[in-house]
Amino acid sequence: MAVSQPDIDRLIDAYLSVSTYNFKDYSIKSFMRRIEKLMMDNKLDVEGLINKITTDAIFVEQSVKDITVNTTELFRDPKIWHAIRYRILEKLKDQRRINIWHAGSSTGQEVYSMMILLNEMGLLDKTNIFASDINTDVIDTAKKGEYIYRFNLDYLDNFNQVVRQNPYNFDEFKEVPYSKYFEIDKAKDIIKLNSFLRKKPVYFKHDLVNDGNIFNTKFDLILCRNVLIYFNYELQNNVFDLFHESLFRKGTLVLGVHESILGTKALKFNKKGLYYTKK
Amino acid sequence: MNYKYIIIGGSAGSFQAVTSILASLPKNFKIPIFLCLHRLKHVRSGFVEALSIKSKLPIVEPIDKEHIRQGVVYLAPANYHMYFELGNYISLSTEEPVNHSRPSIDLSFVSAAYTFKDKLIGVVLSGANKDGAKGLKALKSANGLAIVQDPAECQVKTMTTAAIDETPVDHIFTTKEIIDFILNLEQ
Ligand SMILES: C[S@@+](CC[C@H](N)C(=O)[O-])C[C@H]1O[C@@H](n2cnc3c(N)ncnc32)[C@H](O)[C@@H]1O
Repeated sequence: MAVSQPDIDRLIDAYLSVSTYNFKDYSIKSFMRRIEKLMMDNKLDVEGLINKITTDAIFVEQSVKDITVNTTELFRDPKIWHAIRYRILEKLKDQRRINIWHAGSSTGQEVYSMMILLNEMGLLDKTNIFASDINTDVIDTAKKGEYIYRFNLDYLDNFNQVVRQNPYNFDEFKEVPYSKYFEIDKAKDIIKLNSFLRKKPVYFKHDLVNDGNIFNTKFDLILCRNVLIYFNYELQNNVFDLFHESLFRKGTLVLGVHESILGTKALKFNKKGLYYTKK
Repeated sequence: MNYKYIIIGGSAGSFQAVTSILASLPKNFKIPIFLCLHRLKHVRSGFVEALSIKSKLPIVEPIDKEHIRQGVVYLAPANYHMYFELGNYISLSTEEPVNHSRPSIDLSFVSAAYTFKDKLIGVVLSGANKDGAKGLKALKSANGLAIVQDPAECQVKTMTTAAIDETPVDHIFTTKEIIDFILNLEQ
């Protein structure tokens, strides 16, 4: 089922006519692919889909959740977590308070990864953690902090690399037990984060396309990983402006490992290897 | 003939063919090449380096929204799907693996076919699954040129025979023939 560009435009208009969801500036290829999948899963053609969007408010909410991509991992891309631990948090550790925003936090694994590092460094108590996503279902999962175990064996491997090993000193090895942070129940096939971590963050529904800084504070560190890849260049630039305004002076921005600030917005930031700081 | 882009998909047993192709391309070879190769889940880094050893062309894992330049080989990053957008740039996605693969050869080929149409050459190499067959079909329907590595030469034939079954391909070539064909494109 191939959708054409005019079909895509009509679908985007259909969403705009009944909601604030605006996919105009999403990356076309990935959006097309998600629409084709949505049509297949719901056995609808383009006309049927437009009809449903314009007449069924519940379907609108549900389908937006299906269109957005929610894949994530605990300590996804260990090397960025090494930088967060030994470069970024190291610089923040003497501050009285630390404010962190996870934009596009999906089902929460990134937020838990951060809290585990903060706890290892003794910084958790003085940190405020805000996490946001456009999709309230993934926020609910994040709050629950419970994931399938067998499907996610990588989590343990990543944990070992980031929490137990020191990449700058291979002789150093910390025997941090998993149970310090999560329970594994093999019979039920679940891995559940401990309650002191689950209670800590404040979650918000937030749309990076439409909403500004709703948090009443600025941030020392903003993470927005594997979210902007779904946006086109123009929309990415708007979001970089939002992040720039929302960071304290010299605040840090972490993007996904294959993302970068392209074009003139880069002038407002200093690139430091895998991350950016506000000029 | 006016081909402007080459996309190559490979899985188990394709490493040797890929490195031979890269090794034979001259420094001034202009047509951008996209590599969509399955790799072991844990081999997340070091792959670019391994491929670069014999290549005279730069091999990069693209960043999202990176402009496509001549003379560059783009390797789909581990755990991302690679798409091609109108306006000549690449975009990435972390959507779920398709048929257990991320990057998915099918997704990349379909996207390239849609964007580059008859300017595109697609090559399917050795592999142990059927990824690429649907993609090559889409490429062919968009008037691209479809090449498959000769299954007789492949370490694992599943992927190439699946592609041949799915689509009337233009050429079934040995690695050597693929190389000669590509080298002739710019003469
Ligand atoms: C692939 S996940 C990234 C999760 C995590 N940051 C990581 O890298 O592992 C992308 C998330 O972006 C969210 N998203 C998509 N569009 C958004 C928007 N306009 N505003 C806020 N979040 C959005 C999706 O709901 C999804 O949860």
